[in-house]
Amino acid sequence: MIEAPNLRLEALAPFAFVAIGSLVVLMGEVLLSRSESMRNAPSVDVRIGTILSFLSAGFLLLAVVVAAQAYMSNTAWSFNVDNPMMRLDRYANFAIGVIGTAAILVCALSADYLNGLRIHHGEYYALLLIAVAGMILMVSAVDMLLVFLGLEMMSIPIYVLAGFDRRKLRSNESALKYFIIGAFASGILLYGMALLYGATGATSFDGIRAGFDPDNALAIVGLGLLVVGFAFKIASVPFHQWTPDVYEGAPTSVTAFMAVTVKVAAFMALVRVLTGAFETTIEPLQDILWVMAAATMIVGNVMAVIQENVKRMLAYSSIAHAGYLLIGLVAGTGEAHAAVLFYLFVYVFMTLGAFAVIIVLAHRGKDAERFDDFAGLATQRPALAALMVLFMLSLAGIPGTGGFIGKWSLFGAAVKAGQVPLVIVAVLTSLVSVFYYLRLPVVMYMRDPSDEPRRMTTSSGEGFALLVCAAVVLILGFFPSEGPGVLLLDNLRVLHWARDSVAFLP
Amino acid sequence: MEIPIELVVSLSAILFGIGVVGALVRRNIIVILMSIELMLNAVNLAFVAFARMHGTNDGHVFVLIVITVAAAEVAVGLGIVISLFRNRDTTNVDDVSLLKW
Repeated sequence: MIEAPNLRLEALAPFAFVAIGSLVVLMGEVLLSRSESMRNAPSVDVRIGTILSFLSAGFLLLAVVVAAQAYMSNTAWSFNVDNPMMRLDRYANFAIGVIGTAAILVCALSADYLNGLRIHHGEYYALLLIAVAGMILMVSAVDMLLVFLGLEMMSIPIYVLAGFDRRKLRSNESALKYFIIGAFASGILLYGMALLYGATGATSFDGIRAGFDPDNALAIVGLGLLVVGFAFKIASVPFHQWTPDVYEGAPTSVTAFMAVTVKVAAFMALVRVLTGAFETTIEPLQDILWVMAAATMIVGNVMAVIQENVKRMLAYSSIAHAGYLLIGLVAGTGEAHAAVLFYLFVYVFMTLGAFAVIIVLAHRGKDAERFDDFAGLATQRPALAALMVLFMLSLAGIPGTGGFIGKWSLFGAAVKAGQVPLVIVAVLTSLVSVFYYLRLPVVMYMRDPSDEPRRMTTSSGEGFALLVCAAVVLILGFFPSEGPGVLLLDNLRVLHWARDSVAFLP
Repeated sequence: MEIPIELVVSLSAILFGIGVVGALVRRNIIVILMSIELMLNAVNLAFVAFARMHGTNDGHVFVLIVITVAAAEVAVGLGIVISLFRNRDTTNVDDVSLLKW
C-alpha cells in the first residue's frame, strides 16, 4: 500500500499565481491579436502591450498579497511536510514581497519603453513572470535541488530577455555573454552541489548541515565551488566582468529588472544556503567572503568613476553594492542579516528609480545613456532631474535618504560583529562613490542642454513607478522612528520586517 | 567486479576540468557550448556515483533535473547564437566585442 503524501498546497500559492500568470499572458497575446475588435483598432500592438502589462502586474500583485498575508499570519508552510524541499516562511515571504513589488514596477515601466523600441511581444511579460516564479522557488528552497531549479528558472528567461531587441547587435552580444557566463557559473555551482552530496550524502540543507565535516576536503571544495557559482550571480569580484557588458547591451527595462530582482533573489538565496546548510563559523568560508567583499567594493567603486555611460556606471555601482551586502554575510550575525535584507529593500527602489529615469528619457528607440545625454536636463525637465538627484544621493548614501539608513544599519551591525577593517574599506569606497554619483547632478544642473530633441512626456506607468520609488527612498530616509500611524512604511517597520524574517534562518 | 568510487569521481573531475578549460580557452561559441555540456555531464556522473555510494535516490533525482534543465538551457543558447549569426555572420567570440570597459 502506498501512503498518500502529506501535501500543503498553500505553500505553492505565490509561485502558482506567477506561473499561471505567465501562461495566461502567453495565451492572452494570441487571443487578443486574433479578436475582431482588436484587429481593426488602430495601433493594436500598443494596446495589447498595455493590456498584457496590466495583466502581468495583476498576477504579480496577487502573489505579493498572498505573501504579505502569509507573512502577517506568521506561518511556515512546506509543500511536502514529510520531505520538505521548500519552506514558505517569513523569510521567503519577505523576499517574494520585495521581488514581486519590483517586478510590478518593471511591468509599469516596460510598456511604453517597448513601444519606443518597436518590440511588441507578449513573450516579454511571460518571460518576466517565469523568471519571478524561479526566484520564488529559489528564495523559499531548503534543498539544493530546488535552489538549482529556481536559479535556472530565473536565469534562462533573463538570457532571452537580455537579447530581446534581437535586431540590435549590442542586445545580441549582451544575451550571448550573459548566457555563456551564466551557464558556466551554473555548471560550477552544480559541481559544488555534487561534491557536497558526495561528502554528506544529502541534498537538503539540514542533511548537509548534519553531515558537513570541515576536515573533509571534498566538502570544503564543494562549498568553495558553491560560493563561486553564487558569486557569478550576485556579480561579485572576481566574477563580475560580465555585469557592465550585459547591463549596457540589454534593453533598459530588462537591465532594471536584472539589476534589482536578480540581486535580491540571489543574495537572499545565498544567505539562506549559507546559514541553513553550513555552520557560519567555518574559517575558510569567512576568509573567502572577507576578501570578496573588500575586492568587490574597491573594484566596483573605482571602475565606476571612469565610465562615460550611465548604464555602465550603474552596473559598476551594482557591483559595489554587492560588496557592501557581502559585509553582512561576513559579519554573519542575525542583526547583520537583517541589515542585509533592509539594504536590499532600499537598493531595489533607489536602483529601479535611477533606471526609470533613463527609461523615461529614451527617445525614438534611442536610450539616453551617455552622461552627455543628461546635459541641461534640469532646465528642460526639472522634476525628472530632481528625482534623479534624489536617487543618486540615496545610492551614494547621503543622510536624509533610504540609502543612508541602509548603509548605517549594515555597517553598524558589522562593527558590532567585529568587522572594523572591512567597514573602514566600505566607508572609504563610499566616499569614492560620492564622486561618480554626483557627476550626474552636476551634468544635469551645470551644463547647457544640447540641441538633440528630448522626450518631454512621461506615461502614467512611468510616473507611477517613479513616484513609488521616490516615496519609498524618501520615507525610509527619515530618522529611524515609528512613523505616524497612517504611514504603512517607515524604516523601523521595514527593519522589524527584516528582523522577523531573519528569525526564520537557523 | 568492483569499481572503486575514487576512479569514477576522478573521471568526473577530469571531464569537468576539460569542460572548464574548453569553455575558457576555445573561441568558437558552439565549442564553448559543448564544453559547458561536458561540465554538466561530469556533474551527472558524480551524482550517479555518489548516489550509488550512499545508496540514496537523491542523486538520481538531481541528475534527471539537471538533464532537463540542460536541454532547456542549450535550446535557449542555440537560439541566441542563431540570432547573433543572422546579424553578424560569425560564431567566434572574439568578433563579438562591441561592449568594452
